[in-house]
Formats: sequence, C-alpha cells, structure tokens
Amino acid sequence: MGKFLLLAFRNLFRNRRRTLMTLMMVGGGVTGLLLVGGFFAFMFWGLRETTINDGLGHLQIFTTEHFNREEKHVLDTGIDNWRQVAATVSTGGHVRGVAPRIEFYGMLSNGVKSSVFMGSAVDPVAENTLGFSPRLAAGRDLDTKPGGEVEALIGAGVARSMSVKPGDGLTLLAVTSDGALNGIDVQIVGVVNTGFKEMDDRYLRITLASAQRLLESDRVTNLVVGLDATENTDKVAADLGPRLRGLPQNLTLKKWIDLAAYYKQVRSLFSMIFIFLGIIVFFMVLMSSVNTLLMTMFERTREIGTMLAMGTPRSWIIALFVLEATLLGVMGAMVGVAGGNLLGVLLNHSGLHLPPPPGTTSPMRFQVLHVPSLMIGSSILVVVSLALASILPAIRASRLQIAEALAHV
Amino acid sequence: MDALVNVEAVSRRFPLDHSYVSALDHASFRVEAGDFLAIAGPSGSGKSTLLNLIGCIDKPTGGRILVEEVDTSRLKPASMTALRREKIGFVFQTFNLIPVFTAAENVEFPLLVQGVSARERRTRVSEALESVGLSSRAHHRPDLLSGGERQRIAVARAIVHRPALVLADEPTANLDTHNATQLIDLMRGLNQRLGLTFIFSTHDARLLEHTPRIIRLCDGQVISDSSTEGASHGQVLAARV
Repeated sequence: MGKFLLLAFRNLFRNRRRTLMTLMMVGGGVTGLLLVGGFFAFMFWGLRETTINDGLGHLQIFTTEHFNREEKHVLDTGIDNWRQVAATVSTGGHVRGVAPRIEFYGMLSNGVKSSVFMGSAVDPVAENTLGFSPRLAAGRDLDTKPGGEVEALIGAGVARSMSVKPGDGLTLLAVTSDGALNGIDVQIVGVVNTGFKEMDDRYLRITLASAQRLLESDRVTNLVVGLDATENTDKVAADLGPRLRGLPQNLTLKKWIDLAAYYKQVRSLFSMIFIFLGIIVFFMVLMSSVNTLLMTMFERTREIGTMLAMGTPRSWIIALFVLEATLLGVMGAMVGVAGGNLLGVLLNHSGLHLPPPPGTTSPMRFQVLHVPSLMIGSSILVVVSLALASILPAIRASRLQIAEALAHV
Repeated sequence: MDALVNVEAVSRRFPLDHSYVSALDHASFRVEAGDFLAIAGPSGSGKSTLLNLIGCIDKPTGGRILVEEVDTSRLKPASMTALRREKIGFVFQTFNLIPVFTAAENVEFPLLVQGVSARERRTRVSEALESVGLSSRAHHRPDLLSGGERQRIAVARAIVHRPALVLADEPTANLDTHNATQLIDLMRGLNQRLGLTFIFSTHDARLLEHTPRIIRLCDGQVISDSSTEGASHGQVLAARV
C-alpha cells in the first residue's frame, strides 16, 4: 500500500506545470469559498450580536401558558412573581442581568387624532445594565430615575402620523387586567427609528412602572436575560432549566435563536447563496479535472498496458487514478486553505468597507472570519469533486486492451 | 513429458474495414521448460501477435494455446490476469519501465502485485538486480540509465517473481549491437543458470547466433523450426547465409 501511495504521489509531479495549474484551480475554488463563507460568517455574527443587543437578549423567560393559549385579559398569562424569578436567574453563572418587559396594545391620541400602538414597557436601569438601547432618531432615552412625568418613546411613523415631537404630550388608552379602560398622559422624550416601517408606525415605549399603573397589574410579560457571551447560551439555558422548574409558576425558557425570526431568514437566504456557490465550485473543479485526468490517462496508456500485462488487477488501475486525484484534491485544498486564510488576513487589515446595508446609514466593514468548519467543508468538497472526476478516466484506463495499449505511441 | 507451452494450429485475424487481415495462420509448435527460443521473421510476420497470444494478452481466433496444460483460450479475464501475474514475465521493446519508480522499485512491482511480503521483496529484488549486474544502479530512476541498463532492469523485473516463462518482444530493437549482444547473452545466461524458459522475437539476424532454437515466421505462418528440423546451430547459420 505504501509503494502504491508513493507511485500515486510521484505521478502527480510527472507534469509539474499541469499539476500546478490544477492545484491553482482547486486552491482558487477553496480560497473563494473561504472568503465568501468567511464574510457571510462575519455578517451572521454581526447580525446575531445586533439582534441580541437590540433588546432580544440571549434568553427570555415566559410563563408556559403564554404559548399555550391566547390572553383573555392583558397580562393574564404574565409572570406574577417576576422579582423572585429574576433573582433566581441572576445568581446563575455568565448572567449579566435580567430585564423585565411588558408587551401591550392600546390607543394613543393627541387630542385630535387617535392611532393604535404596540407598546413595550421596560425597566430603563435593567436595560442600560444589559446595554440595550433604542435607536434614537431624535430626543433622548427614558429617564432611569423614577418619578416625575410619565415618559414615552415613539416610533418615527407614529411621530409623523400624530404630528408630535419630543416635548409634546400624548394620551394612552389601554384595557386593564380587570377588563376596564384606563388612560394616562405621557410626555414624548424621544423618537425611535427601528429600521422597519411597520414597526415605526406602531412603536411606543414607556417605563415598566408606568405600564403597570396603566394596566393595573404587577405582572410582566417576560424576563430578558443577558449573558456575558452568546457562546454560553446553551450552557446557561441547560443550567437554568432545572432551577426554573422549582418555582411556583410554570415557566418556559426560550433561546435567542428561537425568537430571532429575521436572523433566521437572513441566515437561511445567505446559506442558500453559499450552497449555490459551493455547487458551482464543485462542478467547475469536476469538469475541468475530468479533462486533465483524461489527458493524463492517454499519456500513460502504454504504462497502464505494461502494468496490466504484468498481471496488475484492473481494480488497482482504477484505485491508482482515484488515489492520484484524491491526493491532488488534498494538496489543492491545502493550497486553498492557506491562500484563503492569507487573503482573509490581508483583507481584514485593508480597512475595506462595503456600502451601508438597507435600513442603515453606516458603511459595513468587510471582515472575513476564519471558520475551521468552513475550511474542512470546502476541502472535503474539492477532494470529493476530484475523486469523482477521476472515475471516468480510471474506468477507461482499467478497460484498455493490453495489446493495443502496449502498441500506443 | 508435457510441454510448457503448446501452440496448436493457432490463428489470429484482425478486422479491417469490412474484411479482415490474418496476422497468424495455423501456427503450431511446442516449447519445453528450459528452452531458449527465438521467433524470427521480418516486420509484419506475426512475431508480436504470437507472443501476445502466448502471454495471454490476446486471444486467438482459431486453435488453442496451452500453458502448463491449461487452455488459455478458455480462461476468464481474471484467470488470465492471474496466469500472467504468476507464470509469465515480460520484456518489451521500449523497456516500459515506470518512470517515477527507481530501478529497484520497478523490479519490485511484480512482487507488489503478487502480494509478497516486504522482507521477501527486498531479498528477491536484490538477487534480481545482482543477476543482471545492476545492483549499483538500484536507486537510479530510468531516465538516468542507459538504454542497455534499462533493458537489463526490464529483464530483472521479468524474472524477479520466478516465472515459468519469460516473453521478450523485440528486446534488442532499441539497443546498439554491443548492448543487444550483451542482453541476449544475459538472457541466455539466466536460461542456463536458472533454467528459465525464454521466448523472444527479433528480426536482427546477428542475435540468432546466440540462439539454440529458432522458429521462423513469414506472413503469419511458421516456415521453419530448427528443433524439428534437427538442424544444428551451424546449419541454421549456413542456411541463412
């Protein structure tokens, strides 16, 4: 086997120029996949962290009922002993903080015009601890000190539709947890641009205390948990599960990935683009290698005839060609991985920026991540492609008529 | 005594357009173990075709060939491969060494195919190289060897697995007279020393001086066999002159 491998390896260097060209082609394919895949990985990473830090958090805790039935009254599937739950969660490892939230609906009015809003009530101190801050288009964030006027942030669409700006007032109307109608006056302190028009047309944010007063309930919809690193999500979720089961209310833990629908859509789209690119590279390597390997086979016709004459089984001839192609693939993959990483480092240090993505104003930094699984996957792809490309030439070589092959010039 | 090779009314025709061309026509002769036999004749007389048929590289369209009493025309491809691997050694006109292997690795190849152990291979390769006088060139690649040396390596490769029969198709065609004579002397020496049976084809009359038995072919037919004629070596030479 060793000598057979040696023969295959040495055969690769019989025509150095052709081998070099094949290595460059295979290596180029791997390099291309690593650069594109590395950039996509950076985009996924950026989108993931943005999604989490925009307020989704790493974990969210709900009552189990929240997912099992529709609310009859506001917050009737909410967490009632949320301070105890938050305290329990906060003592766990890797937890940076816990932020209570209330999601509610209602009407807002400027005295002349009314509109529906989708409200989110937050604890500004807890939100700041976790680094969650709304994208302000004007004004400021909610005050962290309790007392004074009831403050509110509204979406840019709401501000436009109600013709209000920071400093103006609005009246909020909502149904309480008992089913009665209640209202409070709020002062607008800031206008938020979420990046999504539908969201901006309905967005309202007030403090948790104000919402609980409006809704006449001490409950919260959910608790948002922030961790020290996203990579710890699974570990913390596994740790928290049993501890939450010991609390009076039945609670459910959701990971950020379960709640990040937009992230999953984007990831799915770009993954498909990457798979498509991979298929192109696969067939590019396959088709060009078939031609190269057929040329190699024709050039070695007499040698193959000699080996067959000496009683070499035809299966050995097939194995030799497949082994040579596989070795070529492995070498090409090594060239590609080295080239891809080197180019990635150079591009990362070049300060290259891409135009701002939709919904943002800042140019996007071009960064390539070095992803080991991508290197392994791309390498396997080209090795398999070359091995497959060798099958036709290998079968042809193995089926040569010995007498004709020996007479081949 | 059973013959090592028994060629019985063997014919080989090749299709050509809507007709055929006869390369060998009812050739018959026997080769005994230990023979040193030359198949002589001009180009196109059917020498290579005959060697290919004896070497199980090709199948006859008529007649049959028995190697050690086995009718090779009835063998399946795998059995023919096994027969070539175990019983026959080949020497080719153009040496046909594997260029990326050293001389020793080339000689080792038939043993690799037979699945001989590494230790046994080393011993046999060393013996084979010594028997052709090229132990000192063991680690040279073919492109660093002269034509004569390459063909001696090819002979070492043909005998390393101790075959019953060595077939050499025009082994001297690419050698000068000195190297050609040396090669035939080498093969004759191996024949006498090790009892190996050699059948080689040639159209070089000078080489036949070293050959005890000569079969002459012309237009695919055996026109003479010095063994059946009972002719002495001198008589054969005289007849040729």
